[in-house]
Amino acid sequence: MASRLDRINRFLEGVRREKREIVTPEGVALEIELANRGERALAFILDLFFWTMAILFLGLVFGLLLAEKINGAVAVTLVLFAAFLLRNFYFIHFELTTQGATPGKRIVGLKVIDAAGGPLTPSAVVARNLTREVETFLPLSLFFSLEAGGGGWLTRAAYLVWLALVSALPFFNRDRRRAGDFIGGTLVIAAPKRALLADLGAQRTTYAFTRPQLDAYGAFELQVLEELLRRPRTAESETVLAQVCERVCRKIGWQGAAPRADAREFLNAFYVAERAHLEHEQLFGRYRADKSSTPGAN
Amino acid sequence: MSASTSEPIELAAPMPVVTLRSAEFRKGREAAWRDLEALIARVEGKGVAGLTADEMQRLPTLYRTAISSLSVARAIALDRNLILYLEALALRAYFIVYGPRAGFAETLWVFLKRGFPTAARSHLGAIGVAFLAILAGTAVGFALAVGDESWLTLLTPDGLAGGRSAASTAAQLRDGEIFAPWQGFVASFVVFANALFRNNATVAILCFALGVAGGAPTFVLLFYQGLIFGAFVALHYNRGLLVDFLGWVSIHGVTEFGALILCGAGGLAIAAAIVTPDRFTRVENLSREGRQAAALAGGGVLMLFVAGLIEGGFRQLVASTPGRFAFAAATALAWGLYFAYAGREARRGE
Repeated sequence: MASRLDRINRFLEGVRREKREIVTPEGVALEIELANRGERALAFILDLFFWTMAILFLGLVFGLLLAEKINGAVAVTLVLFAAFLLRNFYFIHFELTTQGATPGKRIVGLKVIDAAGGPLTPSAVVARNLTREVETFLPLSLFFSLEAGGGGWLTRAAYLVWLALVSALPFFNRDRRRAGDFIGGTLVIAAPKRALLADLGAQRTTYAFTRPQLDAYGAFELQVLEELLRRPRTAESETVLAQVCERVCRKIGWQGAAPRADAREFLNAFYVAERAHLEHEQLFGRYRADKSSTPGAN
Repeated sequence: MSASTSEPIELAAPMPVVTLRSAEFRKGREAAWRDLEALIARVEGKGVAGLTADEMQRLPTLYRTAISSLSVARAIALDRNLILYLEALALRAYFIVYGPRAGFAETLWVFLKRGFPTAARSHLGAIGVAFLAILAGTAVGFALAVGDESWLTLLTPDGLAGGRSAASTAAQLRDGEIFAPWQGFVASFVVFANALFRNNATVAILCFALGVAGGAPTFVLLFYQGLIFGAFVALHYNRGLLVDFLGWVSIHGVTEFGALILCGAGGLAIAAAIVTPDRFTRVENLSREGRQAAALAGGGVLMLFVAGLIEGGFRQLVASTPGRFAFAAATALAWGLYFAYAGREARRGE
């Protein structure tokens, strides 16, 4: 079903999303969209930013509270330790309590799910985030500690190569999983929110269409028309509608008054009639995918 | 045009104005969808705790309504916006209804009570192999360094040696290391324990993660830790400090080596999952085994935290060798009982 709708996305926006399917315990198959690698990188950078802010804040608090009681080295160690705890628990805590989404993921609209579609267990969350320590933070901190203490360029290059290899892993498997996703058995998906818009079928009009006229199109054309009608009113969209209106009139052999004056109203009326017709046909097992397919073939 | 040519145009009468079935369907259920959407938005923001008891009860019912609405909409409606909305709504609700319920504290508690000891009990083989790797390393390290102490400098990274080398005298080792004076609370517990913990945690996590590379690197790393330890044992053995040194090490070493062995066992379990996937695919088997293995490693890191505290603090507070052995025996007994019995009753009760 959703793959039919996906065809319209590709047609109108040129967007193509990798899809997977999970089946709920109620036996309904739900489509999920894999997150893009760019989105995941952005979410991670956001999380990294929040984490750094928290560490800076902690450092400030330690500095103000304990400035006179302890020396600098102790304060630095405390902050380092807090950083270690915080980055481990930041990801685990948020992925557990807010349905698989850290603040960064929530902003970008991503979610961690169990790859098999089952419940996301705490052990999976712990596993995927513990692996993150090895994937990213360990080589990074080693790299920067070398920077301070000095070390061979060979060692330093090795850390960078490790980092590059691990970050490249999502490019080399079809589910775009990183090492932690393999060990935890998880996927990261895009979970967009969608608004329910007003039903276009609610408007009443005076145009009437014959059955052969309505037989000219299928569901694909109907839903493209729906998308066009839902676009905000601009000069550009009105021009597009006028062109579409002209082509529709030619296709169905429209005899009546030329609806040049208000293409939108005419197309809306045609949309309602076409949808009623196609839904009726679908109910009797004659679903028609598009204008060139035969009814019921699906 | 093909449609209009197939039927003669004069037969077609204008269609009567029909009410849309899908629009009627939407009218009847829209209130429930909106209700569900509002609840979901609140849970996604504040977690399940943000809902009242009444709303919690309503959530599964509303979810089932949305799921059945989706099935119906797929069958009867051609309204694209409606179907996409229901797909997204059902998916978001699904993750909340079947999502994780436990918070961080509860997860940690269940993990310590059941997950960690259970994982350890079910990986006795891997734990044995990891233990043997360290033991073999210790034996080889001892054999190498007991004859030629320059091996010690060769084997040990600069940061860990702490000024100890082939040139150290027995008196230096005894007064500066084994029975070093207590340095005060902050320096011992905070700074030193911290440095040790971070160093050990790095090694332990590496042991675990290198399991992905087929197990050999984990084995080598464990063996190497044993080598270093064996070389130090040889250094002290040559100066007649063997018993005192073992006391000094064992007070925290029981916990620390235990943690290292568990992390290593986690790595080996991952390696086994990849190398011998049995009747599953490698990826499937990795995620089946990976969680248990990660439980071993995560628990191991927590153990290292305990070991760091003992090493940084208690070791110099307990300044006699018999006392240290007693402390070590007590920790060994405590860990042994924990891994042998924790979580067993709970499993039987389920």
